[in-house]
Amino acid sequence: MTMAAVVAAPARGGFATALALIGFLALWETAARGLSGAYVLAAPSEVVVYIANNAGLLGRALAVTLGHAAVGFLLGNLAALGLAAVAVVWPRSQGVVTGLALLVFCLPLVATGPILRVFFGPGPWPQILLAALAVYYTTLIPLLVGLRAVPASWFDLVRSYGRGRWSALVHVRAVAALPYLFAGLQIAAPAAFLGAMVGEFTGAERGMGVLTIRAMRALDVPMTWALASVATAVAIAAYLALGWVARRVLRDDPPVILAAPPLAGARRPFAAVGDIAIVTGIALVLWWGALEWAGLSRFFAKRPADVFEALVLAPDAAATRATLFAALAETAVFLVPGYLAGLVAGAGLAILLVLVPGLAGLVMPLAIALRSVPIVTTAPLVVLLLGRGAVGTVVLVAVMVFFPTFVACLHGLGRAPGQVMDVMRSYAAGPVARLVRVGIPAMAPAFFAAARMNVPAAILAVTVVEWLATGKGIGSLMALSASLSDYNMLWSAVVIVSALSALGYGAVGLVEARVLRTYAPEQLA
Amino acid sequence: MARDDRPPPGIVCTGLGKTFPDGTAALCPIDLTFQAGHTTALVGPSGCGKSTLLRLISGLETPSIGRVEIGGAPPADTLARAGLAVAFQDPSLLPWRTVRGNIELALGLARHPVVDRDVDQLIRLVGLDGFADVRPAALSGGMRQRAAIARALATGPGLLLLDEPFGAVDELTRQQLAQDLPRIWEARGTTTVLVTHSVSEAVMLSDRIIVLSARPAEVIEDIAVDLPRPRDPDLGRSAEFDALTDRVFAALSRGMVTREPPLAAQ
Repeated sequence: MTMAAVVAAPARGGFATALALIGFLALWETAARGLSGAYVLAAPSEVVVYIANNAGLLGRALAVTLGHAAVGFLLGNLAALGLAAVAVVWPRSQGVVTGLALLVFCLPLVATGPILRVFFGPGPWPQILLAALAVYYTTLIPLLVGLRAVPASWFDLVRSYGRGRWSALVHVRAVAALPYLFAGLQIAAPAAFLGAMVGEFTGAERGMGVLTIRAMRALDVPMTWALASVATAVAIAAYLALGWVARRVLRDDPPVILAAPPLAGARRPFAAVGDIAIVTGIALVLWWGALEWAGLSRFFAKRPADVFEALVLAPDAAATRATLFAALAETAVFLVPGYLAGLVAGAGLAILLVLVPGLAGLVMPLAIALRSVPIVTTAPLVVLLLGRGAVGTVVLVAVMVFFPTFVACLHGLGRAPGQVMDVMRSYAAGPVARLVRVGIPAMAPAFFAAARMNVPAAILAVTVVEWLATGKGIGSLMALSASLSDYNMLWSAVVIVSALSALGYGAVGLVEARVLRTYAPEQLA
Repeated sequence: MARDDRPPPGIVCTGLGKTFPDGTAALCPIDLTFQAGHTTALVGPSGCGKSTLLRLISGLETPSIGRVEIGGAPPADTLARAGLAVAFQDPSLLPWRTVRGNIELALGLARHPVVDRDVDQLIRLVGLDGFADVRPAALSGGMRQRAAIARALATGPGLLLLDEPFGAVDELTRQQLAQDLPRIWEARGTTTVLVTHSVSEAVMLSDRIIVLSARPAEVIEDIAVDLPRPRDPDLGRSAEFDALTDRVFAALSRGMVTREPPLAAQ
């Protein structure tokens, strides 16, 4: 089963989808009626009534948030395209480009939101920038994978006419990477909406995020559920619209061809260490330079030296560190199980769909819905339903990780080389054998790309939930520091969380490098 | 038709060898000369380094030792002005472009103007009329190779490098191409290097056949093919043709004896 077939399944298997949707709504309505009086669940009928009565209010808020999300989506993806082009045309820069991009992506939105709010005031820029920050990395990574998923002989062809990397990028890589770009954009669309809502959360005047806060504070259950439903519907619509465009643009699935690794340019182990040093250096200079250039007050715009002082030199540094690490330990308890569960569920469901293609029509809409749900709006719901304990948070992190992994794995499985599959069939290999011998190895690069970029996504999820709902861990600590104007603690938390996030990313990358050396050496070029 | 106006270049390989960084010796140092305007066939057992030799001549691979000169200059010069074209073993057509689109891509890369009439003529020449606007996925293996040949011819290169370009082409079309292609490169005086496994194809197409031994490749025999041109299929039943093919086969079987343990050659 190919990617196109699976993604198109909701459109073709309209009956199964409708059935799944009706079943889901019926279940929801029944549960809500059973729980009436508990103030946790609003029935679909109540949600519809609320939306109908407040259509004007919701419409205006939605328009504001959509506008900001769209601008952020555009800016973030343009940045991703530019960075990918630089990294491919000038391969030596790739380590530094992706390293800096990663570091910026690892900035916890929960803390950067309030900081941007202080910088920009009540205007739209914090929302737009957070939306851009939420999407550019999820586009950059699949794009880099796609730009390299090209057979070596196509580059020979370009070179045999005396042309270089730029021609190869324009004529070969750019088109070959289109399916990957669309896979990235599809994931980015709901993420942009989520980013814009987090931005509104930090004190905007209008928008869905503002209404969500109001609903939560007022314990208005129908309003909370209506907002979550509208946000979900919008995210799903954006996802499906991009899928529709992708099917129009990509006429057929490109074949998988594995390019030979360039033997001459094998990386030395020192190169990675050097890259990390360069990235850290550039990041520190940019941080310091940008704040100095903008002439921002040292009171809230802390420089690298201030953070170093707060964490190491100040008399209360030990106490600051202890507070930070206690919060981090609290967070890890939710983060790690949720992250792993999301990965396993995503890969598992993709494999299941390949083995039992009939399930696609039923499962795909549900899977899309789960990922497209902007986590900001569901955090209070999940906590209402599952309590403030570990389960709710773990589930939310897992949901956040699940869908990108699922989409990436489906794509990877679909890229199993056609003729290799035919060889397997000619030996009468069953579907399981084909999956184990060809499908899963072909899936490996996509799975690991997803696993890597989900490290920061999982941290975003866990910190948002802690901030909004559970009041525990590093997310809550950052929110508290922001509201208490404890900028030393806030900036220290940003630095530590970003560094740990990048470290986790690097650790997944090490595992990935070992696996890909066997299964997809062209990705290590 | 768009073409390189320079006279066809001769090629001189001096002590040319290639060892990959993992230690595999793809080609042991060898001296070879290819005469300008002639068609030279390279035949030899699989894995003897024919394709590597072709890649070294094209400049797509850099030699570990020795050098290649095309018309007295390094291959990079010829590459830089798009003075050569390669038909690869794998047709390497871009799947999202039609047959015509793939040919136009080569013209564009070589900075040649696209003349529709010329492209149509090329497509007809390789027997793909009616398939100009079809994408490679809908073509058979042989048709894809023919499209790749048309693409290689499109820029009218002074140097044409063919790496088993007829491997998947059916016998009848192959005979037809063996008739038509030499006519093109004779008219233009193209220097052609043809790597092939087919002895009769080598005799039919070339002015000279170099028989290489198994690894490490050495020139076993250098055979001049002085059959008259144009050559028609009837030539294949002549006594001179038989004598030449016998000579090539004899040289090949002498060269089969490898001086390495067979498993090490894997």
